[in-house]
Amino acid sequence: MTERNPAFVLQSIRNVTFEDREVPKLRDEHDVRVHIEQTGICGSDVHYWQRGRIGDFILNSPIVLGHESAGTVVEIGSKVKNVKVGDRVAIEPGVPCRHCDYCRSGAYNLCADTIFAATPPWDGTLQKYYIVAGDYCYPIPDHMTAEDGALVEPVAVAVQICKVADLRAGQTVLVFGCGPIGALCQAVAKGYGASKVIGVDISKSRAAFAEKYGADGIFIPEKSSDPNLDPVDASRATAEKIVEQFGLGEGVDVVLECTGAAPCIQAGIFAARKGGTYVQAGMGQENVVFPITTACIRALNIKGSIRYTTGCYPKAVELVASGKVNPRALITHRFKFEQSLEAFEVVKKASEDTLKVMIEGVQ
Amino acid sequence: MDPNSASNLSFILDKPNSVSFADRPVPSIKSPHDVLVGVNYTGICGSDVHYWKHGAIGHFVVKDPMVLGHESAGTVVAVGDEVKTLKKGDRVALEPGYPCRRCGPCLGGKYNLCPDMRFAATPPYDGTLTGFWTAPADFCYRLPDNVSLQEGALIEPLAVAVHIVKQAAVTPGQSVVVMGAGPVGLLCAAVAKAFGATKVCSVDIVESKLEFARGFSSTHAYISQRVSAEENAANIKKEIGCPDGADAVIDASGAEPSIQTSLHTVRMGGTYVQGGMGKSDINFPIMAMCLKEVTAKGSFRYGSGDYKLAVELVANGQVDVKKLVSETVAFKQAEQAFAKVAEGKVIKILIAGPNEKLE
Repeated sequence: MTERNPAFVLQSIRNVTFEDREVPKLRDEHDVRVHIEQTGICGSDVHYWQRGRIGDFILNSPIVLGHESAGTVVEIGSKVKNVKVGDRVAIEPGVPCRHCDYCRSGAYNLCADTIFAATPPWDGTLQKYYIVAGDYCYPIPDHMTAEDGALVEPVAVAVQICKVADLRAGQTVLVFGCGPIGALCQAVAKGYGASKVIGVDISKSRAAFAEKYGADGIFIPEKSSDPNLDPVDASRATAEKIVEQFGLGEGVDVVLECTGAAPCIQAGIFAARKGGTYVQAGMGQENVVFPITTACIRALNIKGSIRYTTGCYPKAVELVASGKVNPRALITHRFKFEQSLEAFEVVKKASEDTLKVMIEGVQ
Repeated sequence: MDPNSASNLSFILDKPNSVSFADRPVPSIKSPHDVLVGVNYTGICGSDVHYWKHGAIGHFVVKDPMVLGHESAGTVVAVGDEVKTLKKGDRVALEPGYPCRRCGPCLGGKYNLCPDMRFAATPPYDGTLTGFWTAPADFCYRLPDNVSLQEGALIEPLAVAVHIVKQAAVTPGQSVVVMGAGPVGLLCAAVAKAFGATKVCSVDIVESKLEFARGFSSTHAYISQRVSAEENAANIKKEIGCPDGADAVIDASGAEPSIQTSLHTVRMGGTYVQGGMGKSDINFPIMAMCLKEVTAKGSFRYGSGDYKLAVELVANGQVDVKKLVSETVAFKQAEQAFAKVAEGKVIKILIAGPNEKLE
């Protein structure tokens, strides 16, 4: 019987099916084919399924979903040097063009022609086999499981966020959001030697998880009982409470905003010390009320962070391999490939006790 | 220039001190991202002369005959299917080194450090003293209408200077000292000026070179004497009116005494950049570097954005590269041109391509 390639495909908005596809072929001598073993689901996968677009990326034709994967290399192109058949690898899902000015200057996460798994129009990794450029596969040591390997992707996102923040040992760090990205940022920050890492979330259970995971302390903001309180003033009050409660002096050195929620964005600016750094990683509303005068007067460095750049994946593998970051602890649900739709429904439901949902590859 | 009928005569280094001319097959476009360029002019670099005389630079050894040359400008004669930035007839400055695009340095924005770099006229790769040359389109930079092809051939050394001055992080109002008033040193002075330096001092041992430097971009000039490095440095600081030293010192000579003088000329907290290549190992004023907390950096070739900026500097009239051209010769005069450069009596000689008709 000829080898087939089962795939989990988003046909159109809210319409997913399984397809029996052909085994994909290498496109050139630099490609490899990976037998996918584990895939984590990200909010963006669910968003394309439910809304069919994120920004200018619009679903116009069917795409295979999934982009947080690891597997075993089964075929390599003639010019591939960094991996061999049989290697277990974490896959970096966005391969840039390598020719544009962004690529040539080291900012390949900004390349407009990036081929990114499960971003329309490109197929993702929820299929038996995935084709990718060999240099975007990173071997993982034997003691890392395929689940660890698949979760290198969100760890790499956290590594990039900390890179953009220019996080240094001895700094104080405030992370808004204790979901997978926020929790991983807290763990990576600790791994980098941050002196104090505080996690913030409105969910008691997520905050409790973060406290056991990477944070030195957690804060759960309470909803204000005063209906007349201006929301931005409420955010400022939250920030002041956090800074006081955790002895953060004039404010934290670094704020990592991993929720995209307006109250967190505002509180983040108010919690940063003069000359501090604020990094926007979370995505929520496109436009929010922003304390811009505070940002100005405090001479804050405010930066955006998107995906990952050179060195993030190797760093992420190292952090996991050395035990400094344990992504497996984030896994709350595990499904077989045939249960992919059920897995997506769990992520869509977004219950606060759901962190990372994994889908096993096709055997 | 039609690749089917034009000449692909090439200037080849067979072994040290032995060059020849030979017709080579016209190269073909192998990648949809590549272009085919008819070479119009090529400048000669010290490295070309060094290979000619010694057959090696460091661990790069000429084992097989190699076409020389890497400072070229040409005209696009054909483009690959996926090329969108260039078309047939465009005049371009050629960046002669092609990285792998897949290693850490390449993906990290430092492609000049790619271990698998394929560089024209660095063994084992052939150079551009030939009729036709293929290159990835993103390594060919269109010359605006007001920039001539001869000026285009000077973009390469200018890009070297841009890279050096960027490493030196020169900002407006600063003082910069450049050791060496050869082509690269002169261009470093010009770029430093363009970056806003208000004091730019050229240093050399040859008075005529300093005279040229004064007429080119330098605000000050100093002729090195046979005294200690500290004494030369004291004289330079006096000359430029910077008793505490210069913000940035660039070495474009590779000469040990110049490097030593550099460390005593730079101010506390200043930046020193090694661009010149001379002896591999020298006596270095390491105590000065430490006590003065000097940032010392190397500079090698050029990277992202350097060629683009170099073309802009010429197009805007900020660097008058034409002044550096001592002579332009016909392709068949290439060996004589190399000899003149080896004698050190010229600044830049351009060799016209084999299909170029000189007036």
